[in-house]
Amino acid sequence: MPRRRTLIGLVATLLVLAPIGWFWQQSLVPDGLSAMDMGYADYGGGPAMDAGHQHSNNLAELKPVANRAADVSVRLVARKERFEIPGRGPMEGYTLNHTSPGPQITAKQGELIEVTLVNESVPDGVTLHWHGVDVPASQDGVAGVTQDAVLPGQTFTYRFVAVDAGTYWYHSHQLSHEQVKKGLYGVLVISPGTTDVVAAVHTYDKIRTVNGGYGERRVAGTPTVRLRLINTDNGPMAAWVDGAGYRVVAVDGTAVNAPTPVEGKSVLVTAGGRVDLEITMPGTAVRIGLGGGPTTLVIGEGDAPAGPEPAERVDLLSYGKPVALPFDPAKADRRFEYRIGRRPGFFDGRPGLWWTINGRQFPDVPMFMVAEGNIIRMTVQNGSGQVHPMHLHGHHVVVLSRDGVPATGSPWWTDSLNVEDHESYEIAFLADNPGIWMDHCHNLPHAAQGLVTHLMYEGVSTPFRLNGPTHNQPE
Amino acid sequence: MRPIYRVLALLIALGVVVQAMSVALGWFMVLKDVDDGAVFDKNTDFNFGQVTHGMVGMMVIPLLAILLLIVSFFARIAGGVKWAAIVFGLVVLQIALAFGGFGVPAIGALHGLNALALLAVAGIAGRRAADAQPPVVTDTEAVAQPPAV
Repeated sequence: MPRRRTLIGLVATLLVLAPIGWFWQQSLVPDGLSAMDMGYADYGGGPAMDAGHQHSNNLAELKPVANRAADVSVRLVARKERFEIPGRGPMEGYTLNHTSPGPQITAKQGELIEVTLVNESVPDGVTLHWHGVDVPASQDGVAGVTQDAVLPGQTFTYRFVAVDAGTYWYHSHQLSHEQVKKGLYGVLVISPGTTDVVAAVHTYDKIRTVNGGYGERRVAGTPTVRLRLINTDNGPMAAWVDGAGYRVVAVDGTAVNAPTPVEGKSVLVTAGGRVDLEITMPGTAVRIGLGGGPTTLVIGEGDAPAGPEPAERVDLLSYGKPVALPFDPAKADRRFEYRIGRRPGFFDGRPGLWWTINGRQFPDVPMFMVAEGNIIRMTVQNGSGQVHPMHLHGHHVVVLSRDGVPATGSPWWTDSLNVEDHESYEIAFLADNPGIWMDHCHNLPHAAQGLVTHLMYEGVSTPFRLNGPTHNQPE
Repeated sequence: MRPIYRVLALLIALGVVVQAMSVALGWFMVLKDVDDGAVFDKNTDFNFGQVTHGMVGMMVIPLLAILLLIVSFFARIAGGVKWAAIVFGLVVLQIALAFGGFGVPAIGALHGLNALALLAVAGIAGRRAADAQPPVVTDTEAVAQPPAV
């Protein structure tokens, strides 16, 4: 009898442990994974093609002309060290050239920018990603996809042509959810004007700053100001102007067609996104509200009015006037779905509530396969319970509709799209930049929790691997 | 096996106490941070109290509940398997209520209520193991009794 009891006990134990163990084991992310071998190919209804193993172009060869001298040369030295947040105090984190944010990089449209990144003391390695700039694939700065992380003592040189004027930023794409938060970012403006005011908002460990400073920060103004709002954080930020009206003149580095005057409304800056406002100064100081809280930017001398966040918001779906697109979305070659969900279970062995893409969990997610020259349509649908700022590398996408309502304003070109829970966007883009491009949530902890996939071009391969001996962890 | 069962049940009860303390600590820390000019939003990482609550609730207590259930198969405690299964079920329910609470905060109130139920049931399971006579003694009595009558 005791033996039989023991046997029943053992069987019962197995029945309890087997399913748990199976789900746990299934969730483990293999070491040394290649973006090429990840998930499953999704051809979007277009013809299937070689995923990029045979007769393929190495992504590392996709770079701008080599025999051209740089017009702008910058050397950035990354360090792990303590730095000062003006208005608040010291902070433990990461710096570029001893500051956080790193130095602002500016260039004229068409110039070749060369940035030498030196890692002096960031233990996990660093990279630089040029957020919103459609650089050649080898210069995209994604550890494990377009390069290896630059380990302490190593150097990496980025070269790219500043093709499009506008407001951009740069940040590390190695362990980005930790490194960006702790300071590895900076501003990049292509073809700045004489009336520019930059407002790069960043939250360091619960401390919201603008241009690196806490509290009410002040800058001098000109009669007309071009305010370049940059949201380097993980969540969407409402911004507004107390004391003046404005026009939204650019979104994510692309000019808005025929912008109309706005009064008493806020504008939403997606996490990772940029919005340029043109403010005609009233002769007195104005205050830029940045998501509420103690940090604001005052432009001009003297007291500035301070108000709450306006209830109404500029809707980019209908703002400005339409103009012809450079391609016809109706003639799409491939149509993809990017459905974001959430489910309980394990992720890489950890129990929790995890993101899914089209019902699958990282790394078993769809890889969006395209050929150069394809016109692509994609539906981004969010049923996950939280907002997601979706960021496709290397391309700008145009919004066609939101929740079935067609876009009627200026073409809304974006690289960082705020997709609220229960929202559905239809977007389109031209596949004109061969490479392997991350398409992920720019709430960087979400990316680290698996809300990442890739856009893969026919015949492009990468020699780089995730994790493994090179310690590449892009998220 | 019997003392292990008892210790596991009491550790689960203790875990519930830690959870009540850690979640309160976490939210009082948030109140103080915001008062000091910090922001609490999507950029804010969980603080010490919240991380503790997540770790204990998602890892430690579920692991203890699984162990308790497995130990119950061998411990030969009257009702031992039943009470271990109830503990396990309430732990699963507790996690489900936490996940549901992210979307519908009212479900979070039930998460607080279920915590008390789990505390009580884990306590009962622990008492069972302490009160019940060891099975060896029961067997001896069964053999020894007839001659006495």
